[in-house]
Amino acid sequence: MASESGTAVTAGPALRPLPRPREATRSAAATAPPEAHAVADASDGGARIAAIVIAAAWHLAVALPAVLRAGPGMAVPAVVAAGWLVTTLVGVGAALRLLRGGLPAAGPLAAALLVIDAAVVAGAGERFLFSTANWVWGGLAWFFLLVLWRRPVRWLLVMLAAHGTIALAAVVLYGATGPADLSRAAMYLYGTSTLPVAVFVGAAALTAQARDRAATAAATLAVAAEQAAAERARTERQARLALVSGTAEEVLAELAAGDADPADPAVRRRAVLAAARLRRLIAESDDVPDALLHELRAAADLAERNGLPIDLVSVGTPPELPVEIRRGLADPLTAALAAAEGWARLTVVAGPDEVVVSLVTPDHDGSDEPTTGGHGPVEHLHERDGEIRWTQTRWRRT
Amino acid sequence: MDADPLAADVNAGTPIGVAIVDDHPVVIDGVRAWLAGEPRLRVLATGDDPDRVLRAAPYAEVVLLDLRLHGRMVLDKLAELSAAGRRVVVYSEHSDPQTMLAALDAGAVAFLAKHEGREHCVATVLAAASDRPYVPPALAGAMVGDARPDRPSLSDKEREALLLWFQSMSKASVARRMQISEHTVKQYVDRARIKYTRAGRPAATKAALLARAIEDGLVRPEDIGIYRSQASADRPTP
Repeated sequence: MASESGTAVTAGPALRPLPRPREATRSAAATAPPEAHAVADASDGGARIAAIVIAAAWHLAVALPAVLRAGPGMAVPAVVAAGWLVTTLVGVGAALRLLRGGLPAAGPLAAALLVIDAAVVAGAGERFLFSTANWVWGGLAWFFLLVLWRRPVRWLLVMLAAHGTIALAAVVLYGATGPADLSRAAMYLYGTSTLPVAVFVGAAALTAQARDRAATAAATLAVAAEQAAAERARTERQARLALVSGTAEEVLAELAAGDADPADPAVRRRAVLAAARLRRLIAESDDVPDALLHELRAAADLAERNGLPIDLVSVGTPPELPVEIRRGLADPLTAALAAAEGWARLTVVAGPDEVVVSLVTPDHDGSDEPTTGGHGPVEHLHERDGEIRWTQTRWRRT
Repeated sequence: MDADPLAADVNAGTPIGVAIVDDHPVVIDGVRAWLAGEPRLRVLATGDDPDRVLRAAPYAEVVLLDLRLHGRMVLDKLAELSAAGRRVVVYSEHSDPQTMLAALDAGAVAFLAKHEGREHCVATVLAAASDRPYVPPALAGAMVGDARPDRPSLSDKEREALLLWFQSMSKASVARRMQISEHTVKQYVDRARIKYTRAGRPAATKAALLARAIEDGLVRPEDIGIYRSQASADRPTP
């Protein structure tokens, strides 16, 4: 009982909070329901394939022939070739993950790519610095894209900055600091970075948009469902009100006309029953009927139709409970209600971690053994002390 | 039912003056009839305007106030009266927990649901007149279900006593169930109520409740975080 929203189920228009239109409307992307994520995953499938194809095309159609052509002319050809092979493995692994709807392990793969980046630049040597044989210049950015798919765009920018730093370091170390070399390096970097960034940002925007739209749709559905439930609760309540006012009016009319004697115990009992029913009705103010309260109310209505005045008071909102726990909470009460005589008081005190339901009726003769126990997480207690019969069920979150 | 026997002693001799503020004459008549059966109480003035009623009965010791007057919740008026030291017992058909707790926060000495009947009404007024807490079952329910983040922290026993009192409406049954005396049950319930004097805005009535609770040994000053020596009021110890 000890926490969270105390939205009362008892009456009170004054301080009742407005019904919540479920989380999704507040910040669609942040708290999107699972359906929205599914939609987002599906919607960037095309972009994933495009990125994989571009990376593969660069790697196989541009980088591989250039490396083979340059061959032994490079400073350390084995390093360049090994880099190419490892990058292929990284690419294939990332592509498989992406095609299956997952995301590659960004951290380790990104680190591996940066190591390859530096190794290949060094392995290609000064002569091939600006040639396609130094394939990391152009092609590697697409692999960054694959391993960082759906990660924050700043990660990609950091990777590209590291890439640029490695390239510039090589340019400086090899002494290629003439204006022509520097501008060539700048152009290479610019040319090879902008397109991946554009694709990356574009895909992210599309995904976000799709997720937003899906979240909005889900939120709309949730609101509609709540409205329908509230409407149903209202109709049910109106039907019961019609019934109650009928019986109450009847008693009042008879009293007013002098046909009924207020001293007559039967008349008083009818008045008590009508009053108890009206009070219960007034106490109902939940917009979306709670399953546990619904069951208890139904049991109370039934007992009352058999002539038992019954009060049902509820404090707090029960959390969503599995059916068997709800049964464990409600069943002993409905059974005890069937044996009740005189009057009954049914109470529910609920919080996110605890729900206690209790039925108190006057004690009377008749077989009735005290019981304690219950099953699973629901505790059940039934006792009589000569004054009252007391049935209590209690669930605690374990 | 569970009226505090001490409550009457303090004012033995002269009856306690009560003012009733309600905008339904039939309710005023009903409450007046309830109180008429209790010789220790006397209704001094009634009406639908708190200011006018209190001008007519400036020395009323307890004000029974309907929380909804002419369609408006008068929590602000309640706070004003409580701050001025008026012992206000709120009674209302709006017995949802938030409203009850808001009334306590505003300084009401007690909250009574209109359907709680004569015994609770008389007991509440008697207790209020001597600045003693009285917690009818509906209020106990509101306190035990209080889920506000700044709610007072109750001990397990206090919480259980409130819960069982709310459920059974019989302190004798609660006592049997908890295997303690009825007196102890009442202490747990009252102690929980006293913890609520810290909530909401300050009011003279809260200070008086607290002071009396300390005098009665219900709580110790150090149990109440913000206690500020109101206990030294020169009131005779019962």
